[in-house]
Amino acid sequence: MLHVDRVEASYGPFLALAGATLEVGRGEIVALLGPNGAGKTTLIRCVAGLLRPRAGEIRWDGASLGGVAAHQIVERGIAVVPEGRRLFTTMTIEEHLELGAFAPHAHADKAARRDEVYTVFPVLRERRRQLVRALSGGQQQMVAIGRALMAAPRLLILDEPSLGLAPRVVDAILGVLGDINRRGVSILLVEQNVHAALALAHRGYILESGRVVGSGTGAGLMDDPHVKRAYLGPLA
Amino acid sequence: MSARVLGPAVVIVAGLALVPWFVRRDDVLNFLFLVLLFITLAQSWNVIAGYAGQVNLGHAAFFGLGALVTRTLWIAGTPVLLGMLAGAAVAVGFALIIGWAAFRLRGAYFAIGTLALAEICRITVGNVLAEISTLPQTTIAAYRLAHRYWLALALAALSVMAVALLAGSRLGLGMQAVREDEDAAAATGVGALRLKLIALVLSTALAGLAGGAFAYYHISFYPSHLFSPQWTFDAVLMTFIGGVGTLYGPILGAIFYVFFKEYLAIRWVDFHLLIFGALFVAIVLLLPGGLVEGMRKLRGLAEAAALIPDRRRPRPEHR
Amino acid sequence: MTILLQQLVLGVLIGGLYGLAAAGLSLIFGVMKVLNVAHGELIMLGGYGAFWLFALGGVDPFLALVLVIPAALVGGAILYWGLFGWVVRYHEETRVKNSLLIGFGLGLALHALAVQLWTADERSVTTAYGGNVLSVAGISIPVVRLLSLVVAFALIGGLHLLLARWRWGRAIRATADDWEAALMTGIDVRRAYLLAFALGTGLAGAAGTLVSVGYSVSPSIGLEWTLKALIVVVLAGLGSMLGTFVGGLVLGVAEACSAMAFGGPYREVVGLVIFFIVLVARPQGIFAK
Repeated sequence: MLHVDRVEASYGPFLALAGATLEVGRGEIVALLGPNGAGKTTLIRCVAGLLRPRAGEIRWDGASLGGVAAHQIVERGIAVVPEGRRLFTTMTIEEHLELGAFAPHAHADKAARRDEVYTVFPVLRERRRQLVRALSGGQQQMVAIGRALMAAPRLLILDEPSLGLAPRVVDAILGVLGDINRRGVSILLVEQNVHAALALAHRGYILESGRVVGSGTGAGLMDDPHVKRAYLGPLA
Repeated sequence: MSARVLGPAVVIVAGLALVPWFVRRDDVLNFLFLVLLFITLAQSWNVIAGYAGQVNLGHAAFFGLGALVTRTLWIAGTPVLLGMLAGAAVAVGFALIIGWAAFRLRGAYFAIGTLALAEICRITVGNVLAEISTLPQTTIAAYRLAHRYWLALALAALSVMAVALLAGSRLGLGMQAVREDEDAAAATGVGALRLKLIALVLSTALAGLAGGAFAYYHISFYPSHLFSPQWTFDAVLMTFIGGVGTLYGPILGAIFYVFFKEYLAIRWVDFHLLIFGALFVAIVLLLPGGLVEGMRKLRGLAEAAALIPDRRRPRPEHR
Repeated sequence: MTILLQQLVLGVLIGGLYGLAAAGLSLIFGVMKVLNVAHGELIMLGGYGAFWLFALGGVDPFLALVLVIPAALVGGAILYWGLFGWVVRYHEETRVKNSLLIGFGLGLALHALAVQLWTADERSVTTAYGGNVLSVAGISIPVVRLLSLVVAFALIGGLHLLLARWRWGRAIRATADDWEAALMTGIDVRRAYLLAFALGTGLAGAAGTLVSVGYSVSPSIGLEWTLKALIVVVLAGLGSMLGTFVGGLVLGVAEACSAMAFGGPYREVVGLVIFFIVLVARPQGIFAK
């Protein structure tokens, strides 16, 4: 469904992506791993339409995303949960979910979808009138995911959702991602927590210095010696 | 300043100095005086805005202080040149006092902060010195326009030279680094605050001197008019339209501006501001380098079309 | 004592207009980081609009709002498409600086245009009830100014509701908060900018109308009102329309106090001094989050 084909992207003179290729198929959970500065967030920004690649192509549902504005990419069925959550500080949980369904195609069944989000994240229903500023990191992450889900995406992209969260909370969130995937949403997951990501994912890619240097199934990558050495540490 | 330009520049200045002996018409001398005065004023603004990258909208305050101090001292009997130096010193002093506070502001905040300061000066002066300032009869009788003209010429030459020296110096390059990216410059140890202060001193000294020249020239005025924001706006318009951050920009801009102002004022008052305001916006959006950049592009086109020889390519006999 | 109260009341009355003038500027700056220093000139144009509607058509200025505001909304959209919309392609710091410059040129041009069209004379809308005064406990309250305060408050309240309840109002707030996150949420940020700019200009037009009836308009009020708006924005910080309104009232009262303490001519100075001090001490304003 999503094809990233030899994409190159730069920030000014700095080449962040030097020809990255990956795919996310229908119903899959795909993990994107790699060290800091490898270009993972850059790749996500390209898919989201925030950064124009200087070479290569990104195809979604067979059509190229080149030149499509970021807000229209949401309309086409891709929603992003950005790194650091990037919530709207002056707004409540309710308002976030309301805004999540801003794109025209998301108007239908908005109420039902909101109820689904509250079912998946019950604590949000309790606190729905609260400003997101007042929430814990884990709860904020739930809001960010909820906001993205309100756009009725077919592909959900998450950039480092576990960042700054306690292990218990991370487990809960990754569990939720599994549920979401079983309901038919494909997921592209960028994660520092390699173990948890690979346990969840069907497949994965390793991005280093702007290039994909390895790929395989979730289980396969966990056994991969390079991955073990570089990312899973001595306890793997 | 390259030697190639220095020769013609000296000739031009010398030629301009001789003008009062050949031209007796007051209106021409007045016109030229204004052009020269505005060249100084524009260059003074150019230093802080073009080279140091700080858009200062309170420039009128320094012009006004220089003018006020000069006028007061001169009428009291001080030789006018001394008065002007005192005026410039007061302008610089004021700049340094508010400078350390004002420079904590970045970009647009600096612009509106300085605007507010200048307005405070104008209103205060307007209240404290509400009466019109006129020259005594004896002074009016002894008034020689040519002297004012030469003073303005000297100031204009001084300001152009100062900017030329600044642009090429380490100081100037440091300032441009700050202008391009203040954070990056700070990271490499270029003392941004120190550079900005030096630019401020030069800029306000020149503005103060220009004010002093005006006080020497204009027979009567309301002191608060010396602080009118229009002086700032004139400087901004001229510098930008000519080409901010360049040496010739303010010169071109001043000539262009005064010419059109006088030409358009024949029919409509202040109409020139409508044209220049629109032109200013067009330049900010489309041609940030102003007329200087425009001319460079035209020359580039002409060279490409082989209409004029390309000065950058070596001539055959030098190969 | 009565004199003191009288001055304070008059300060509050004009403070409401300061708040309205600032609200438009604050909205635009908060959402798109564009500093339109020609905002005062737009207020001036709104004032002239009301004046001519009255002088030529006999339209009561408070009714004229119904005409002036939509015209200003459209005018704002045109200004965005034609001018300020081009500035949003830059990143924030350049954007602020360039919009300041553009606003500067625009302001000069509009000022000169007004002088050409309508001369530099001061104009005021003098309705039949213009001279009416309410007397409360020995204090005289000009009716038109009181009405203006009420209208200003109503408009600000309306704007607040618009931003809170209207789908695009929330989109505007989201864009102000984090435009990239807004894009990722499916919001057309360019459209949000356009709406914010149009709304801000609409408020300017309304403020101008109210200024023309309780006070007076001339081509040169532009700079004055831009400064007032800036002072209030810096005092109140960005983000809250109601906070901005209160900031306007505070400025009005501060000016009244200053006039009484130092004399009438220094009325303007206190605002500018406060402005400069707050700017240096806390560029994000006193009431800011």
